[in-house]
Amino acid sequence: MEYQEDTLLFSEKTQFILVTVEGIIKKTDAKLFDWKVGGSIYDCHPFFEILKSLIDSFEKEETTYNFPCIHLEENNTEKICDITIIINTQEITVILFEYTSKYRELNKIAQQRNESVLKAKELELKNKYLLDKEEFKNNFITNINHEVRTPLTSILGFVEILEKTKLNFEQEELARIIKRQSIHLNALIDDMVDISKIESGKIQIVDQRFLFVNLIKGFDETYSKLAEKKEIEFSTYIDPNIQEYLIGDRTRVYQILNNLLGNAFKFTEEGSIHLSVTKNYQRTNKLSINFKIEDTGFGIQAENLERIFDRFTRFNEDKQISGTGLGLAIAKNLVNLLNGEIKVTSQPEKGTTFEVKLPFKFEVTKTTSQKKKKKYTLPETKKKFRILLVEDEEATQYLVMKILISQGNFFIDVALNGEQAINYLERRNYDLVLMDLKMSKIDGYQATRMIRNNYGDKIISEIPIIGFTAKIGEKERDKCLRAGMDDFIAKPFEQEDLLYKITKQIAKKAAV
Amino acid sequence: MKLSKKVVLLGHFGVGKTSLFRRFMDNEFSEDYKVTLGVQIKKKVIEMPDGRELSMIIWDTEGHTNIEDTRKSYLLGSHAFIYVFDLTRTDTYQDLSKDIDYLTKNYPKVKTKIIGNKLDLVNEKDILQLFKDKQIQFDCLTSAKTNKNVQNFFSDLAKEITS
Ligand SMILES: Nc1nc2c(ncn2[C@@H]2O[C@H](COP(=O)(O)OP(=O)(O)O)[C@@H](O)[C@H]2O)c(=O)[nH]1
Ligand SMILES: [Mg+2]
Repeated sequence: MEYQEDTLLFSEKTQFILVTVEGIIKKTDAKLFDWKVGGSIYDCHPFFEILKSLIDSFEKEETTYNFPCIHLEENNTEKICDITIIINTQEITVILFEYTSKYRELNKIAQQRNESVLKAKELELKNKYLLDKEEFKNNFITNINHEVRTPLTSILGFVEILEKTKLNFEQEELARIIKRQSIHLNALIDDMVDISKIESGKIQIVDQRFLFVNLIKGFDETYSKLAEKKEIEFSTYIDPNIQEYLIGDRTRVYQILNNLLGNAFKFTEEGSIHLSVTKNYQRTNKLSINFKIEDTGFGIQAENLERIFDRFTRFNEDKQISGTGLGLAIAKNLVNLLNGEIKVTSQPEKGTTFEVKLPFKFEVTKTTSQKKKKKYTLPETKKKFRILLVEDEEATQYLVMKILISQGNFFIDVALNGEQAINYLERRNYDLVLMDLKMSKIDGYQATRMIRNNYGDKIISEIPIIGFTAKIGEKERDKCLRAGMDDFIAKPFEQEDLLYKITKQIAKKAAV
Repeated sequence: MKLSKKVVLLGHFGVGKTSLFRRFMDNEFSEDYKVTLGVQIKKKVIEMPDGRELSMIIWDTEGHTNIEDTRKSYLLGSHAFIYVFDLTRTDTYQDLSKDIDYLTKNYPKVKTKIIGNKLDLVNEKDILQLFKDKQIQFDCLTSAKTNKNVQNFFSDLAKEITS
């Protein structure tokens, strides 16, 4: 194959080089590189070393090789070429096609594409590093909590003892300060542990049915008192369209609102604070509630708003305000945990408004049964009714006793398990049994079955029984009724509910 | 006779092939990423312990996510492949064994070396444990940035391909 130097087939930017099998340049047009005839091609550029192995592996047939996009440089100028090499028995033909500008163009695109991938990876790496650091910190806090708590508890204990000893006025004052500071330190640790638990995902959301209106009422009572002391106004509004009972994590909702209200009270010296609770929307059994906490306090500068939810952020350093600086961070973290939203708007010297949106659920069946409750009254045949409470949990015992005793027409006996309950029933006549279902030895279902089946005495075998369950639902209900109970009530229950159910059962029994 | 060996750098883009290439050739490093298009070739003459001189001709390729996309002609006449991956990017080594299998199957006479680069960005102990757990094989961990293990790696390679 022979190439003419003056061929028109190739453009200006093409160079031919004829090389002997020893690598000596026989002929070239030197259009791109000024390589001399008679010189060794191997001295021109390390790329050409490839010829050695191509020649070594050559077998009779003329063969063509293509090497796209090779960077060749001479005297510090780079030319990017596609190189074709043709080898036959007599000689080697090398053809350079220069495409520098085309490749530079391509380069830009590749650069952008690759760079964006690398940038993303870099961010990912940074993020992971931060997360690791965060995790370390959270574990650290949880661990140190215990170490700090023990001595702190004894400080508090001893100060209390100290306070009871004979102290002069100054000593008394000092003891009071130590106590106050220790309590503050304790609160700070509580908050820190809380926040590290939230951030490390150790807090679990527990959905339970609770009397939502009471939660808000509780805030109304507590904070009205505080408002009176501070001589500011406090008011609450609750949308009457919101269901009485909602399903959600009551404790966390309480914590969120308590932190936000606490914050509002801290930074408001005059004017008012208002909490309003409204419904955003409702779909099947879900609803979204909007909580708005408006105050007429110091307000926050616009540039500080972004950092308001950061830990230990305090913008009112000069004002003598106590607090851990963690309240808002906790609130924000909890809102996120509950899949809600929180936002803040503020005007310096005018006040601040926090808005929180939280999702809740409610029981659809419950609303139908809420239609109309038949009214029951206790029969007037007796002045007092004797009730047997079978319950091993002290908290529930206490609550039931408080509710019933305050009514004035109940006597209460407490049995700690099914076995004891049966003993009591055999010894005394009762009007009703309140039966916890989860107990050691004989559980509530079993005890109920025994009461229903083992006694000829109708005073025992037909006694009204109300079960205490931890959950509500059809399944639970069925289980109770099948065991022979007359009704059941889910813990935690409300006073009215309990009284209604007790009255209903006693009234029904008396009517037979 | 003068010894001359061709070595090709392979591996995904951005893993540090060019950086290792520059570190070895000119003892330079730059944080600035410049994409490699096609291939750049440089020669370095190394004096071997036995007194011989070796011309190491290194081809720094652009790198592909899939090794099979590498232009076949670039691999012609090679004596060694250096397969580089990035210790900070899982996707650059998760298909490592597949890529290595491809190379050893199609180029059985060529030495294949595996380098994990950017050692300065990771904890060496953790990485060693991780690779042990995941059974990822490699020959050397390097940092083009700090020059850790780079020169050693190349001089060991030189010995290996000339013996
Ligand atoms: N920290 C660090 N960065 C590196 C190292 N090697 C390469 N880089 C960076 O990684 C990016 C990609 O490197 P480069 O050599 O162009 O990768 P190539 O596409 O495989 O040739 C560049 O920004 C380099 O600065 C290393 O060992 N340590
Ligand atoms: Mg490169």
